[in-house]
Amino acid sequence: MQATTMAATGSMARRQAWTGATLLAFLLLVAVKAQSGGFDSFEIQTMVTSTLALGYLTLAQGVIVIGGGIDLSVGAQMVLFNCLSARLMEGRSFGTCLLIAAGATLAGALLGALTGLVIARSGVPDIIVTLATGFVWSGLALFVLPTPGGGTALEFQTLVLGSGTEFWPPLVGLAVPGLIIWYVLRRTSAGLGIYALGSDRQAAFLAGVPALRAQVTAYAIGGLLCALGGLAATAFTGGGDPRATAGMTATLTSVAAVVLGGIALTGGVGGLLGPVVAVWSLYLIPAIMLARGVDPAYGEAVKGVVIVLVVLIGGLLRRNGRKT
Amino acid sequence: MGETREALRTRAVAKRYGPVVALRSVDLSVRPGEIHALLGANGAGKSTLVKILTGVLAPDSGEIEVGGRPVAFRSPADARRHGVTPVFQDPALLPDLTVAENLRLTGTGAADVLERLREMDLTPPDFRTPAGELPLPLLRMLDLARALAHRPALLVLDEITAALPSDYAERVFAVMRRTREAGGSVLFITHRLLEVQEVCDRATVLRDGRDVDTHVVAEGGEDRIVAAMLGDKAVGAVPAAGSTAARPTGEKLLEVTDLGDGGRLKDVSFALHAGEVLGVVALEGQGQDELFELLAGDRRAASGEVAVRGRRLAGRHPREAVRHGVALVPSDRQEALLPMRSVRENLALPLSGRRWGPIRLNEERRKVGAVIERLEIDTRAQDEVRRLSGGNQQKVAIGRWLVGGFDVLLCFDLTRGIDVGTKHQIYALLRSIAEDGRGVLMFTSELREVPMVCDRALVMYGGRVAGELPAAEADEGMLLNAAHGLTRAEEVG
Repeated sequence: MQATTMAATGSMARRQAWTGATLLAFLLLVAVKAQSGGFDSFEIQTMVTSTLALGYLTLAQGVIVIGGGIDLSVGAQMVLFNCLSARLMEGRSFGTCLLIAAGATLAGALLGALTGLVIARSGVPDIIVTLATGFVWSGLALFVLPTPGGGTALEFQTLVLGSGTEFWPPLVGLAVPGLIIWYVLRRTSAGLGIYALGSDRQAAFLAGVPALRAQVTAYAIGGLLCALGGLAATAFTGGGDPRATAGMTATLTSVAAVVLGGIALTGGVGGLLGPVVAVWSLYLIPAIMLARGVDPAYGEAVKGVVIVLVVLIGGLLRRNGRKT
Repeated sequence: MGETREALRTRAVAKRYGPVVALRSVDLSVRPGEIHALLGANGAGKSTLVKILTGVLAPDSGEIEVGGRPVAFRSPADARRHGVTPVFQDPALLPDLTVAENLRLTGTGAADVLERLREMDLTPPDFRTPAGELPLPLLRMLDLARALAHRPALLVLDEITAALPSDYAERVFAVMRRTREAGGSVLFITHRLLEVQEVCDRATVLRDGRDVDTHVVAEGGEDRIVAAMLGDKAVGAVPAAGSTAARPTGEKLLEVTDLGDGGRLKDVSFALHAGEVLGVVALEGQGQDELFELLAGDRRAASGEVAVRGRRLAGRHPREAVRHGVALVPSDRQEALLPMRSVRENLALPLSGRRWGPIRLNEERRKVGAVIERLEIDTRAQDEVRRLSGGNQQKVAIGRWLVGGFDVLLCFDLTRGIDVGTKHQIYALLRSIAEDGRGVLMFTSELREVPMVCDRALVMYGGRVAGELPAAEADEGMLLNAAHGLTRAEEVG
């Protein structure tokens, strides 16, 4: 009994250790940033606002990966909702913009649910389905907004990003959906079902988990968050940009952040705090190099090396953990 | 509650997968307060029937009644609501969730499960432990406790004892008897005929997708069951083992000296001679897993040495062992085979590992064809090995080394979950391998195999070789005692 208790606390510690390490690495980066270029409320605001859209996408990717899937269309969904909202919001009042935002969020959840339904019903792997839907969403974005443009109400931008150097509005904007989704994942049977599905699909089915419902729920949450990401992009740039490259980069970064944040790509393991902190860390690396006068092109390379190293070390730690 | 109402009744249940007919027509009835055995060779349709009865699959036709009422299960959860609760061979607990979360998932009360575990005389684990970190036998018992907590009218146990140590198996039998006393029913799927004798009231035998015999289990009824399972197919005569001298005379093929892994395995020494089948007998976790992994090059030795024909093995890599002529056939066929590839590719794998460059198709075809013929591998579904029956998969796993060549074959619980007919073919094969002047080291959890196949038997206990005896004298009781470390078997040599 004693031994098993210790094993339980040990494994819980191991589960929390990754998030702790991510947090520590982030604080270290913050300290370095503070030394080399300062880290005041303006810096915080810049960091949080410019990574807000990516933060939503990472949460979306996180929920889907925990459920045993992967979504290669998160960036394209963001671009689609960015273009859609920028076109509809242009020249409208604040109130109308809010209505449009609410509608877009709902539409995002529906698109996600549809994707989940297609994957669950067809049995085609997630990676293939979302690769294809990604192209569809990119095409639709171009259809909605052929060239960069559109606009939004200034009040909407202020609501999402804050004004001056206040950084709490975007932080709250990220934290509130994050907390709600955390609650759904960890404290409802729907969320438990998502973890179960990602952990072992067959065993989840035998245990009576409604697999279809869990998968659709995961993708619906993902779609909703992608729509929020698109709205954040609209607020941040004050318009829409249909070019697909931004979406592709965002998708890949969301996968990287999910892995760095301690979610297993095989599903069933991980939380939401780690990935968000990982997004900020990935932002800080090139920012620090820039502040130190290094060519920003190196920043990307360093980011890549860091991802490989962290995942390598994590893999080694996990393997050793299993051996003992 | 009329006495005539069956706990479970099926009428003409049938199922096909594309062109393959898995179940032709099965009538099965389980009475209230009965332990009913479901038996059949591999491919007879047992697992398909179990899947249908537990809501995993829907039948193509036929009727199912539970407690006299017709049912059509949509899912395992639906079956559970109707009082049919399964425990599958692979525990249906999610490895990444804690035990508590797993219980919440199925809506099972934790207190209820604790109570059941205590009834089984088991120390409950901490429920905050992720299920994947608990030992497999305990997981299976947890799964059983969870099923019991739902107070099923019909408990379906699918080969639950196949990989359980004997003290756990006894607990399972006790649970089955208690369930019967409480008026519940148990459908028990097993390959071990002795277990049927020990706990079951009636038995139904399936063959080729039909129920061919249902009878009351009686003393010495094994022959009837085997005959029903095999039908017209004659039982391959068991080759007389032990005809060779108990004291081996051939060249020493494999010599193990003071081998230890720094953990469970301690100072194991023995020799395997040419022309010999050497059995290893042990309860769960006595170091046999470690021993076989070490010999196969999959684990490093901390002390001692392994020599093949006098040459020392460094134990760096399975490839080194294979190159020295030591090949392992594990009990888990999924581990050995490439399930999505063809029979031919699976058999030819050792050839391609030998050198790079183009494959010599003619040589491959000749060697593979000869082995398929020798082992009588059923090639009807040869495009994907995973679609073969378990017995045929195991033949492919052995046949691979016949293609590749070897001196020492390590067999780890080879016949687990394999039907009687194929088992006998495999016994004959192992004997003929030995007669070719090669050596076989086989661990088996089925003690009756020892006098049937082996020349000598080693008994392992607590990571050591606790004794050695000639197989001809090794009856089950003697082996079991030695394996429990109760009496030391007679030391030979």
